[in-house]
This record gives sequence, structure tokens and C-alpha cells, in this order.
Amino acid sequence: MKITLKINNQVYTTHIDADESLLDTLRKLGFKSVKKGCDTGTCGVCTVLKNGKPVLSCQILAARAEGHDITTVEGLGEKADEIVDAIVSEGADQCGYCGPSLVVTTYAMKQELKDPTIEKINQYLSGNLCRCSGYEGQLRGIKKYMGVK
Amino acid sequence: MRDIRKFDARPKLDGSWKFLDDITYEGMIYGQLLYSTCHHGIIKKIQFPKDFELNEFTIVSAKDIVGKNLVPEPEPDQPFMAEDKVSHFGQIILGIAHPSKRTLISFIKQIQIDYQELPAITDIEECLENEDNVFGREIIIDHRREIELESNWIHSHEIYYTPHQEHAYMEPQGIISIWNPADRKMFVKATCQCPYFVKHAVEAIMGKAINEAVIETSEGIGGAFGGKEDFPNVLAGITSLLAYKSGKPVKIMLDRADDFKITTNRHPSRIELHTYTDPATKKIMKLNVDYRLDAGAYQTLSPVVLSRGVLHASGGYNIPDVYIRGRLFRSNTPSNGAFRGFGVPQALAAIEAHADKIASQLNMDPYDFRKTNIFKVGNEFPSTQKITENHLEECLDRVVQKSDYRKKLQEFKEWNVAHKDKKGIGISMGYHGGGYTGNGEKILNSKIKIIIEKDAKVKIFVSSTDMGQGAHTTLAQMFFEAIKHPREKCWVQLPNTSKTPDSGPTVASRTIYIIGTMLQKFALKIKDEMGFTNLEEYVASHQSDFPREFQIKFTPDPTVSFDDNNFRGTAYKDYSWAACVSEIYYHADTYQIELKKIWNVLDIGHPVNLKIAEGQVEGGNIQAMGYALTEFFYKKDFGRMQGFTDYSIPLSLDIPEIDIEFIHTDSDVAKGLGEIPMDYPAPAIRNAFHNAAGIFINEYPLTPERIFKQISSPKNHRI
Repeated sequence: MKITLKINNQVYTTHIDADESLLDTLRKLGFKSVKKGCDTGTCGVCTVLKNGKPVLSCQILAARAEGHDITTVEGLGEKADEIVDAIVSEGADQCGYCGPSLVVTTYAMKQELKDPTIEKINQYLSGNLCRCSGYEGQLRGIKKYMGVK
Repeated sequence: MRDIRKFDARPKLDGSWKFLDDITYEGMIYGQLLYSTCHHGIIKKIQFPKDFELNEFTIVSAKDIVGKNLVPEPEPDQPFMAEDKVSHFGQIILGIAHPSKRTLISFIKQIQIDYQELPAITDIEECLENEDNVFGREIIIDHRREIELESNWIHSHEIYYTPHQEHAYMEPQGIISIWNPADRKMFVKATCQCPYFVKHAVEAIMGKAINEAVIETSEGIGGAFGGKEDFPNVLAGITSLLAYKSGKPVKIMLDRADDFKITTNRHPSRIELHTYTDPATKKIMKLNVDYRLDAGAYQTLSPVVLSRGVLHASGGYNIPDVYIRGRLFRSNTPSNGAFRGFGVPQALAAIEAHADKIASQLNMDPYDFRKTNIFKVGNEFPSTQKITENHLEECLDRVVQKSDYRKKLQEFKEWNVAHKDKKGIGISMGYHGGGYTGNGEKILNSKIKIIIEKDAKVKIFVSSTDMGQGAHTTLAQMFFEAIKHPREKCWVQLPNTSKTPDSGPTVASRTIYIIGTMLQKFALKIKDEMGFTNLEEYVASHQSDFPREFQIKFTPDPTVSFDDNNFRGTAYKDYSWAACVSEIYYHADTYQIELKKIWNVLDIGHPVNLKIAEGQVEGGNIQAMGYALTEFFYKKDFGRMQGFTDYSIPLSLDIPEIDIEFIHTDSDVAKGLGEIPMDYPAPAIRNAFHNAAGIFINEYPLTPERIFKQISSPKNHRI
């Protein structure tokens, strides 16, 4: 079937299988920052923004994304810089496989959490698994970015 | 000790860094593995589904192997693919490739295999309790000193169990193979730790069909922790066979469930300890260790895990009379392999819990007990290697001091009387020998190539991979800091076996310690020999000498010798030391342990890059926390977990506060760091729970279910 998707403010028309996940479609279209880690909606590395809210693209049918604004880290451009700097300055990145999804989730969190606290941040990011860093450095950087001590 | 930012940090976060699955080659088709769902049996019949065009698929079995059906390293006993018999669940029977991933998956799902089932050992307990399952070489470390047992000595006897642990790297395993009939070379793109292991494996399976296998790693390796040390050898062999038969580039990416079901894990262990302690001096006089590992169906890496495990089994204690026996046990489960710590987390799970057990029998504080028994300069390891530095005791004293251990112990004791929930604090300590065990580094004989270009750019060629631990940043840093060369003029090249010499596998906390030290020494040597103070100026004024290529070889220390037969001598030239205190809160209503804080004090010598070093400690601590508290990989009558839905690794919600201090940082040596932060925290968490609730549990993970069972039926708590 043919669908039209709006990704990072650009319109893409593409052929998909009816049961194709948004993750597979995004990767086929070249958005390789969106990673495949589990296919069961548990690891978070496929996180993208749907109308500004983080969603797991492996759990959404591509066809259901029609008519919504999809944003990947490629689309955040300069808006991601501050987040990237915050994480990098803590030396928190290791293998990097969870990195892009963490950046988009953090971006959405900044828009959504009006009164961020450490607990709320930990809660918000609890769907983004990381096996290398133990989250410590990531959270140090992100707390700074969120203005939480 | 400078914080140089990782060169790959930004591209990893902005998504431009390429991992294996982000790479596509023209005409590439997709492969998948068909593996056994029978634990032990004879393959009677393989039936392919009828409604597919069989000739559209490339199918390889053991019969298609041109070379040998034996993975050559580390212990050559594992076939790439099953022939007529399967020895474990997950054993690969066929490799299948097709241009459409979707068709491939649907085809494989419908393949029927009939087995004649044979008796199988699938349960860890069943495997480790039965001495008929022993295989491979037994290791004995005999340090008995004919000490007469006194009748009043306190006998402490316990059996400690540790479970499987899954690496759970975020990027699953994968390989791309490309066959070039023109030069008869097999090019392999791999997410792996040991490109030369992969090369040897592909050359073994392909035999005379190819002239050479060339292995290049992907730009990004999405975590490994030991999991990408040996399984990539098998996967690359089969993918290459598919590429050869189909004539097309083939990519196999495991999905998460297959990665969980068929790749290696940390060895489950059963460690039985007998100690005899003199109640007058409070000193352990005699220790007997029976160290058993469930190796899985084949030995592969297990003999080397066993040798490291037994060499660390007596912990940091000076015990006059020690006897250690290490054995591997066979089961019909996938071979267990390398995992950060490599036998040491199991060793410390036993000895560090046992120290607390003896202390409680003596009615003594666990810190005081350790202080009484800790080894000092001049004492020796059971291998007879002399202890030359007392830094372990310094780590212990410092961590106790900075965690306010004594004060907290008293406070918690009082608090616990008045509350149903409990607070607890626990100690552990340990060490980790850097580099390969015994004569391993001498045999590895690592090589490095360096090219200095006309513009004074330094290119470093090593086979050591950067899988997130920052190896390539730190290695370059060791070179350019040694001669104060600009950072942007020094790069580690992407490992590729046709360009980078064999600097050994990226394992055993050896990359910075062995390879980094070689680079550092080499930098200083050329500075001395060429007589420059500034390399850029020197190159500018000696243009005709450049580009210039240098080959560097590992120089073994002649004073280091180890007797592999009797396990005597210098097992490791340098040890990293560490001690840890952990604080927990026990929720009595839910039987849940909440880890509040971990204090680490480590001597890793000179930390080259402090931020990267701290990141290693933090990551290791949290993996150890999962090992101690939540990570249940195998359940009797259920089998292996299949993904993050049922295998709980720590989340951002779970993490404690972590305090890290490195001591003796002015040392000239940068010692091993990668593994030790995984070795020691789990026993400190267990000991803190013992301190809080007075319940002694000798098995990980300390899940609410296990604690509940221990409380309700203390004698039969194994679950």
C-alpha cells in the first residue's frame, strides 16, 4: 500500500506492507538514527516523536503514522545541540546505540515537563534502556540541561 | 589524567555514526539462522514448507562446509553447525538467505524438524551437582601447608550459586559477508571484539575455497561486554558460507529473541567453600574451594574463564593453607562464554559472602574481620605469586572512611529496631589481574603498526575495537599525551585485518594496560631516538623521511613466568585493586531491596581519561547491581528469557548514587579497568542485605521471590 508520511517537516510518499512498523519504514527511508533493539517495545532505541510526544516506532504501524508529524534526531538539527553537549560534557556516551533515542526523548521531556524534578526525569526516561553507562553520566548531563540540581 | 572528549561522541548522538545494520551493499540479501529447539537429539528429518520456491533461497548446512566444521578458537571443540546430532537448544542447523527479509522469516517459521530426543541436562542445578558431567581439564591450585586442624577452629561451610547473566548489549549481533571470486577473498563486516578470531573462524570454515578472509569492524559496535568475543566467530562463518554459495553480499542481524536464546552468557557457578578459622586470632587458617562452572555444551572459552576464576577464588585474604579445585560441567545449553569479569564475579560472590558469614560466626564486624585477614606485602597468592603492594587494604580503609561505614552501621542498627523496613550496609573487596592469564600475553605477542605522515598525522593501526568503552580515544590519547602531539593529529584506524596487525583480542582489561602502554612507550622511544621535542617540527624539517611506517611488538617481562600445569608463578603482572561499600533499603512488605548508594575506591594505576574511567565504573556497577538484584535469565521448566520484557536490566529509575575515587593515580602504569567494577559490587549488596535483615542468602539474584521463599522455607529456597 502507498502512504504519505510527514517526517522532519518533509513529505515522503512510499510503498509499505500493511503490517510494516513505522521503525522499518523510517529505516528504509534512510533515517538510520532510529535503531532496532528489541521489536517488542521494551528497549526504547527506536523512539521517535509523534506530534512532539515520544513513541516507540517498533510498536506503531507505519500506516497509522499518516497525518501525524514524525520527528527523528535528524530533524531536530540544531535544537539537539544543547542536549548533545550536555550528555557529551559528562562523558556519558559509550556505545552510542541508545544515544539518538535518548536525545529525542529528552527534547520532548523539556517541552512537556513544566516543573521537572529528578524523580520526574528518571520516570520519563525509564523506557530508554542503556547497558553501558549505568545512566549515571547521562542523567548528570540531562539534569543540567533540564535545570534541575 | 585529562578529560579528552571521545572523538565519536557527537556523531553517535546525532545518529550519523554507522552501526552494522545501518550498512547496505548493492545486491545484498538477508540471512537467518535455523537452530535446534531440541536440547539433545538426532536430526531425523528436515521438512521445508511446500508453498515456497526453494530455489529462491540459499541454504547452507554442515555439508556445505568446505574447510572444517570446527570453530578454531579459543578451545577448538564447537562445530559451526550441527551435523546429524544436536547437543543443545539453539545449536545452528541451517543458514538460510533470501532477498526478502519478510519471505525469509515466514519460510523459516514453517520449516519442520523431527528429532529423536536423547536425555538432556538443561537445569543448572542438575548440571552442577552431578560429577559425571565434568569435562575438560581440571585445575588444581595446591597451597596446602600441612597445618593441623585444631578442634576449636570454627568450620564454615557454604555452597554459593550464581546464575547466568545476559550481556544485553543494546545492538544485537550481526555480520555482513561479501565474497569476491576475482581475488578469492571473503570480506566480512562485523560488530565484534576480536577481528582476528573472526578471521581465523572464516578461514577455517571456508578452507581452500578462499585465499583469505578480511575482517573489518563496523564504525559503531553497540556494546559487547564479552558477548561479542566468541559468538561472532560462529555467525561470521555461516554468513560467509551463505555469501560464497549465493555469490551475493549477505547480512545476518539477529533479532533480540534469537540473540537471547542462542548466544553466550555468563557461566552459572556452584562454589563450595570450607574454611577453618582460629577463634583466638580471628584468622582464617585453611580454605578449601570447589569451583564449578556450567560451561554449556562445548568448552570454547570456558577453560580460560575457569583459570581466571580459580586464580581469584581465595579473594584478598592471607590464608596459610589453601586448596582450590576448578572444574567445568557440561550441559545441553548454549556454550557460556566471556562476560566482563570472566569468572571473577562468581569467585567474589562466594568468598566475599563467606567472609561475612565467618565474621557473623565470630560475632565480629565484617570490616574488622577483613582487616584481620587481608593480605599484606610479602604474603602470597595461592599460586605462590608474591604480593608486592598493599593497595587493596588502602582501598578498603578509604572506602570505609568515606562512606562513614561505622557511623551508619550503628545508626541503622538503632533505626532497624524501631522499623519493619530495614536499612543495611555491606562491604566487599577484590582484585582483577590485568591482561591474559599466565603466559597468555607472551603467546599473544601483540603487534601494532604506526604511520607518521608528511603532515605529522599519526595513524595507529591496532585490532583492538572500540565498542563504546572509548578505547580508540584513550589509545590515541596515550600516544599524543606522551609526546605532547596535537590531539587532532593522532587517530586510531578502524580495525581491518588487511591493514591492522594482530594486537590481540579486545578482552581481559588489556586494551589500555597492554596496547596503550605499548603505544606510550613507543612514542617516548621515537622521541628519544629521533631526538625531537616537537614531532610536528621534526617532521617538517625531515620531510624526506616521511611518511614512515613503524612496527611495534610486545616485549614480555622476563621476570614474569607461570607454570600452566601446576598453576604456580606470576599469574598476572599487575593487579587492579578495589573495595566497595553499598547501602540498601529493604522494603519488608514487598521483599524488595532498594540500592541507595555505592562507594567505590579503586587502584587502577594511572587513569588516562578520568571521565571515561568513571563511566566504566558506573556502567560496571549497574551491571553488577542487575546481577545481584534482578537479572534472572533461566528458570527451571521455562528455559531462557527472550527479551527485555522478561529479563530485567536496571532502568534509570533504579539507579543508586555512585561515588568513585581512584587512588595511586600518580602511578606510571595504566592498569586494567574494564572488568573490575563488575566484579565486586554484587557481594557488597548481598552483604548489605544480610546486615539489614539478618538473612543469609547464598544465591543471586536477590529477587523479592527468592527473599520471600527464604523467609517462608529457609531450607529449600532455591528457585
